[in-house]
Amino acid sequence: MNAIEAKGITFSYNKTEVIHNVSFILKEGEFLGIIGPNGAGKSTILRILCRILIIKTGTITVFNKDINSLAQKELAHLFGFVPQETHFGLDFSVEDIILMGRYPYLRPFQRETKNDCEAVERAIQYANIEEFRRRRINSLSSGERQRVVIARVLAQKPNILLLDEPTSHLDLKHQYDIMRLLKELNSQGMSVIIVNHDLNLASLYCQRLILMHHGKIYAEGTPQSLINEKTIKEVYNTAVKIVTHPDKNLPQIFLK
Amino acid sequence: MNKLLPIIFIFMLAVACSILIGPGQLSNEIFQLRLSRIILGIFAGGVLGFCGAILQGLFNNPLVEPYTLGSASGAALGSSIGILLFGTVSPLFAFLGALGVGLFVFTVARIEGGLIRDRLILSGVVMSFLCSSLVMIIMITGGKELYEILYLLMGYLGIIITSANRILIIGSIIISVILVIYLYRFHRELDIISQGIETATGLGIDIQNFSLILFFTTSLLIGFVVSIVGAIGFVGLVIPHISKLVFGPKHINNLPVSFLLGATFLLFADTLSRTITVYELPVGIVTSLVGVPFFIYLYRK
Repeated sequence: MNAIEAKGITFSYNKTEVIHNVSFILKEGEFLGIIGPNGAGKSTILRILCRILIIKTGTITVFNKDINSLAQKELAHLFGFVPQETHFGLDFSVEDIILMGRYPYLRPFQRETKNDCEAVERAIQYANIEEFRRRRINSLSSGERQRVVIARVLAQKPNILLLDEPTSHLDLKHQYDIMRLLKELNSQGMSVIIVNHDLNLASLYCQRLILMHHGKIYAEGTPQSLINEKTIKEVYNTAVKIVTHPDKNLPQIFLK
Repeated sequence: MNKLLPIIFIFMLAVACSILIGPGQLSNEIFQLRLSRIILGIFAGGVLGFCGAILQGLFNNPLVEPYTLGSASGAALGSSIGILLFGTVSPLFAFLGALGVGLFVFTVARIEGGLIRDRLILSGVVMSFLCSSLVMIIMITGGKELYEILYLLMGYLGIIITSANRILIIGSIIISVILVIYLYRFHRELDIISQGIETATGLGIDIQNFSLILFFTTSLLIGFVVSIVGAIGFVGLVIPHISKLVFGPKHINNLPVSFLLGATFLLFADTLSRTITVYELPVGIVTSLVGVPFFIYLYRK
């Protein structure tokens, strides 16, 4: 059974077609990267999957269940979504933010259980944010805030992680930390879809890539097969030099 | 817990002041009158503070307050029409007016589709203006009825409880208590919504559904309040902010504290409105006059 099967998705924002007839599969336990130029529709795909945007054309099944047949709370058991940026209107503590990740599992007047608190503890350890767990969220840098959001999605314990440009605001060390964390989670069975601008990161960490262009899937395959000078030139209209990473058999892009 | 005790103490003080302070000896009669004011004050102040907190959380907007969705103007319009047609002020007309406008606001907000939450505010503000204009027209052409509508517009806790409206009032209070308890369960959702629609949806909140449930329930509550004591302003706007300043942003605290502080504030304002001048001021005037400088002081801290 595939984790996700998407068929014939078409989506328009205000009469402008943004996604056209997109179909793809996510295998269980796969680490999939969606790449492509600005406006290609990458982030839109993630939002469609967790039903932040609702499609009128096409079907999406998650573990063989149609997403439109599921309540939003049930969907939150399956998908954990990390947006590119989160603005915190109210200045909660980091612990409180992460505890909110347990919301999909709580009934109306129910208190948080021991189980929930343990999930929060493990998430804090995993995301390595023990040092600022009691601080107010708006007192942290944007990189630190991003790690808190990732910790929250870990506490949510979904089957599939959806991350929209998770490393774009992070410094080198934290980029590496996050990607390594995702890789570790993936090796333990978590399916991951990541949208990333950074083609080199995508190449190093994703098992498979989907390259989008003008709302359609231009190509898909392993980084080795997808990232080549011809394809990059056609989609990004930029001439680049592809070099194999000295330690891994993976392509890396250098600007000419 | 340690912050709650002074608040409870201040609340008790407010009740005591409401009982003891005022012209004349404290006879049994006067005690009964003041008791009814106290009950109405706790009810109105509490519900307004509570609904203010709910709506500011729902719309993720610190300037939203109970009347933004049109219920005050609707109640005023309903009452005005009631006076025009039947010559009496009845909570029933005010309530129907508030509810009618609420339904209208909802219908207008639904028209284009899309996220209903964002359209409710615009629709509510527009309807408020419309209703206010209609009320003005009725006031100008009505003449004598002007005075009574003024108290409805500004709020007044000293209404006479007749056998006719006693049942309506008691019924409204009981239903309101039930609705307030019901709304309290949404404290987590309100916490999460402050981080944006995407985060909220991703964590499992159905925003459309949620917006509608909260909109209609608060409209009912505000309708009950406004139909009985008029449109007491400022409480619903400012009390939630004070609550957050003292107790932090989590709605599990913010909601009940807003209720308590709203009740306290209104009781103090009512006591003041009875003592500050020879003629009794509508309490809504006092809440605005006293509330503004107080709020500015707190915000500068």
